[in-house]
Amino acid sequence: MSVPLRVVHYVNQFFGGIGGEDQADVGVTVKADAVGPGRVLEKTLGDGARVEATLIGGDNFVNERADEAARVIAAELDRLKPDVLIAGPAFGSGRYGLACALACKVAQAQGVPAITAMHPENPGASSARREIYIVPTGASTTSMQAALDALAPLVRRLGRREPLGSAEVEGYMPRGIRRVHDRGRPGYQRALDMLLDKLHGRPYRSEVPYAAPERVPPAPPIADLSRARIAMVTTGGLVRKGNPDRQVSANAVRYHRHTVAELESLSPADWEAYHAGYFNHLVNSNPNYILPLSFLRDLERQGKVGHVHEHIYALPGVSTPVAVSAGHGRSIAADLKAGGVEGALLVAT
Amino acid sequence: MISAIYNFALTTGANRVIRGARIEHVCGDPTLSPEKDYAFGMRIVTTALQTLTIAVPGPTLFDPMTPGKT
Repeated sequence: MSVPLRVVHYVNQFFGGIGGEDQADVGVTVKADAVGPGRVLEKTLGDGARVEATLIGGDNFVNERADEAARVIAAELDRLKPDVLIAGPAFGSGRYGLACALACKVAQAQGVPAITAMHPENPGASSARREIYIVPTGASTTSMQAALDALAPLVRRLGRREPLGSAEVEGYMPRGIRRVHDRGRPGYQRALDMLLDKLHGRPYRSEVPYAAPERVPPAPPIADLSRARIAMVTTGGLVRKGNPDRQVSANAVRYHRHTVAELESLSPADWEAYHAGYFNHLVNSNPNYILPLSFLRDLERQGKVGHVHEHIYALPGVSTPVAVSAGHGRSIAADLKAGGVEGALLVAT
Repeated sequence: MISAIYNFALTTGANRVIRGARIEHVCGDPTLSPEKDYAFGMRIVTTALQTLTIAVPGPTLFDPMTPGKT
């Protein structure tokens, strides 16, 4: 019979039996054998593995003094020399999830295979899923046994230093790693099979991973437009004539804020578009097509709109990575909020 | 969001989407007479402003050419 795998288990102060929130500042300590959920973990792992020791860290301590915590975890792993480290499961607990991710990263840096489990929306998962193995769990401890059942087979293989297959097959969260491999049949045949399945209403799966766009809760409606401050934003690449601010025509790393406090409309003598994604000549003859200042001024005069915000925001919305665009959007939205703006018109070309 | 590629806006999660004229002239139409161009642009802009006073459950299209229909 082979020697059982030596497992070290990381848990927080709560699962380690030290205490609740009032004990979240305790440092990292070690106890021999399995503790708390570690006992169930050991049972789930079966005869082939044994929890040799449990590392227990206070959630606040490990997050606020991460360097110190990492040093202690590293020293204990160096002493214990486990075959594999398991952290958590942390479920939906944010600080615990981040601590589990830290423990896994420390272990991996020492050449010890590591794995954790937590809810996909746990900040520990969003920050570290590309670097470590994370098994998705439910948000609460009621999914403990399911989480341990999912962890166990992966733990056994990691402990024996067997390579894991793809995230899709093994059930851990995708790390964004692509490996070249032979699917056996050329792409055009697979595509045609997929098309036939689709036409016949049979289930099929795309080979291209789909990143679902973020859902943003709709802003509540404005009660009274005639009193509201309205701003304008454009991704049409609006620039001052001659582009003195040196805006780029694509892949914007920043946006430009201009003041229109004194302006009744955007004159083609003073404004134009610089955007690599569409023909700009029509906008150059009337920039209000992409930033409708002339219309809003009329509505403001008629009392239908309270105020036209004095600042406008412009960038060329083309060839920009989603993450960068989201950053521009967040920054513009924060500026609008600080300026007392209640509604904004975003013109996208 | 006012956009001529409104399906793109809807599928990427914009909640209040107003159908614009064309990519090269979102708020108006230079092929029309100046008066009609302005009236068309004004219709798009006022439709957009009205959407700000309406609660929407999620990505919703408003078409200035078919008022009241979304």
